Amino acid sequence: MKQTWIAAVAALGLASPALAADEVTLQLKWVTQAQFAGYYVALENGYYDEADLDVTILPGGPDIAPTQVIAGGGADVIVEWMPAALSARENGLPLVNIAQPFKSSGMMLTCWKDAGISEPADLDNRTLGVWFFGNEFPFLAWMSQLDIATDGKAEGSVEVLKQGFNVDPLLQRQADCISTMTYNEYWQVIDAGVDPSELITFKYEDQGVAMLEDGLYVLEENLEDPEYVDKMARFVAASMKGWKWAEENPEDAAMIVLDYDETGAQTEGHQIRMMGEVAKLTAGSNGALDPADYQRTVDTLLAGGSDPVITKEPEGAWTHVITDAALD
Amino acid sequence: MTLVIFAVLLWVLGFGLNVMLANGPARDTGAVRLAVPLIFGLTILGMWELIVRGMQVSTVILPPPSLIAASFAENLSTLWGDFVQTILKGALSGYIFGCGAAFLTALLVDRSDYLRRGLLPLGNFMAALPIVGTAPILVMWFGFGWQSKAAVVVLMVYFPMLVNTVAGLSETTAMQRDLMRTYAATWGQTLWTLRLPAALPFVFNGLKICSTLALIGAIVAEFFGSPTLGLGFRISTSIGQLDLGMVWSAILVSALSGTAFYGLVALAERRMTFWHASHRGDR
Repeated sequence: MKQTWIAAVAALGLASPALAADEVTLQLKWVTQAQFAGYYVALENGYYDEADLDVTILPGGPDIAPTQVIAGGGADVIVEWMPAALSARENGLPLVNIAQPFKSSGMMLTCWKDAGISEPADLDNRTLGVWFFGNEFPFLAWMSQLDIATDGKAEGSVEVLKQGFNVDPLLQRQADCISTMTYNEYWQVIDAGVDPSELITFKYEDQGVAMLEDGLYVLEENLEDPEYVDKMARFVAASMKGWKWAEENPEDAAMIVLDYDETGAQTEGHQIRMMGEVAKLTAGSNGALDPADYQRTVDTLLAGGSDPVITKEPEGAWTHVITDAALD
Repeated sequence: MTLVIFAVLLWVLGFGLNVMLANGPARDTGAVRLAVPLIFGLTILGMWELIVRGMQVSTVILPPPSLIAASFAENLSTLWGDFVQTILKGALSGYIFGCGAAFLTALLVDRSDYLRRGLLPLGNFMAALPIVGTAPILVMWFGFGWQSKAAVVVLMVYFPMLVNTVAGLSETTAMQRDLMRTYAATWGQTLWTLRLPAALPFVFNGLKICSTLALIGAIVAEFFGSPTLGLGFRISTSIGQLDLGMVWSAILVSALSGTAFYGLVALAERRMTFWHASHRGDR
């Protein structure tokens, strides 16, 4: 029964005329931007075609949870952050990391210097903006490591705001600090006319609580199918080729991303800058997940304070099967 | 597969029982009237559980009711905090302010034709503002707390309430108003003894429509920035964690409070407009 059910879901997801090339649907974590340049470059430069793949890239957005999309059969592979993927795994959606193009984390907390913040301990008794929707885990882990509660503004605790998708809470000083990405929101603050010297940033990477960001995840049961594994190996190889090209040609990569941005919301300057910052995060990854990075993410999550994201050590949450084949 | 067959059997059983009760000798007693919808609801829940388990539907797509109930029971205190934040602070205060303001505006509009022509189109304009556009702006203005949620609710409930009250106030006939005039009644006396009672069915219509709008407004507004509690916050955060049991529990809380809210308004309506044709049969 289970197999027919999965087959039915898969058939729904892929119900379109048969083509020679294997179809792959990729669900991004966020809107079309240089954060996903590698995939767009692979598409534009024909790396996917060369690998006999017909790839559809679905942009995400504030109301799209990639984990939910893949659970509903709307995508074959998703770009997701590891905490959200592991949380989904524990909640009954067996996601497996097949590749990790991002080596480092780009998330940080950006604060007003004049609020009197110069080191992490100064964060106590402040109002901090945090993204939720699965992105809150690194923050919660960090606070628990600093021994700061998140129950409201008080001695030994912070007030947490669920920040939206802009940097207004910082600009309007509704919060002393907000979450930013090195490649996106930080520059929105700068673009709003704030001088970098007025700000102080804490990178999660430096605080030792960095978690693996943009990785590629698939459903575990699909990996039993050799054809699927072969298809994904080709997909990962072509995607990594795209990423490495994007790292070397940041400006051209940014322009390719702009071409694919159907909303017209992105600007050239912002995308080129973003690509430059993203390249720093993808540098050092050949696509294969580093088990040490994985272990650090899991350990941080397991230590995550009173309301842990995952309660037990995940098993089988990553595999090198795809990358071993892809990078051969 | 057996579970699915059980589900069908359960349906037949529940259906048969209901048909028997509804056609039985006790069909007009209060107990049976209560039992029939209850049996129907329980049958649906039972089938849901059996089919989801029988077909092995992933809990991410649709969790069985037992899982939702367990998650609900486990997180009672969290959900209570969300209820207080979203329903009592956000929705209710916005509802009282919005409906109150609309009611007072309606009285002004009623007194002056100038305002009627000037204010009603403006009210219409406000009603046409999309919540996804206004919510982030109001969060910017009023902060992340419940105040911005209440402001969104005010915007949402203002117009339906205004239009209904204005329509209600013009409900009396010229003959009735003339009678009040022959009594030498002042505007206030006419309003209090004749026109407000006549307007009540309309006012309550507005209040009932707004009770659900207020809930939607308060929950959706939390998607655009909130403190770390509230039903909207809970739903959007738990979706990100794929904790569907929690999502459905939060949905259950909203549905229950929405029903209770609507029920309270409907009850008040029954008490206060007992004379109205639509309620005469109730007594």
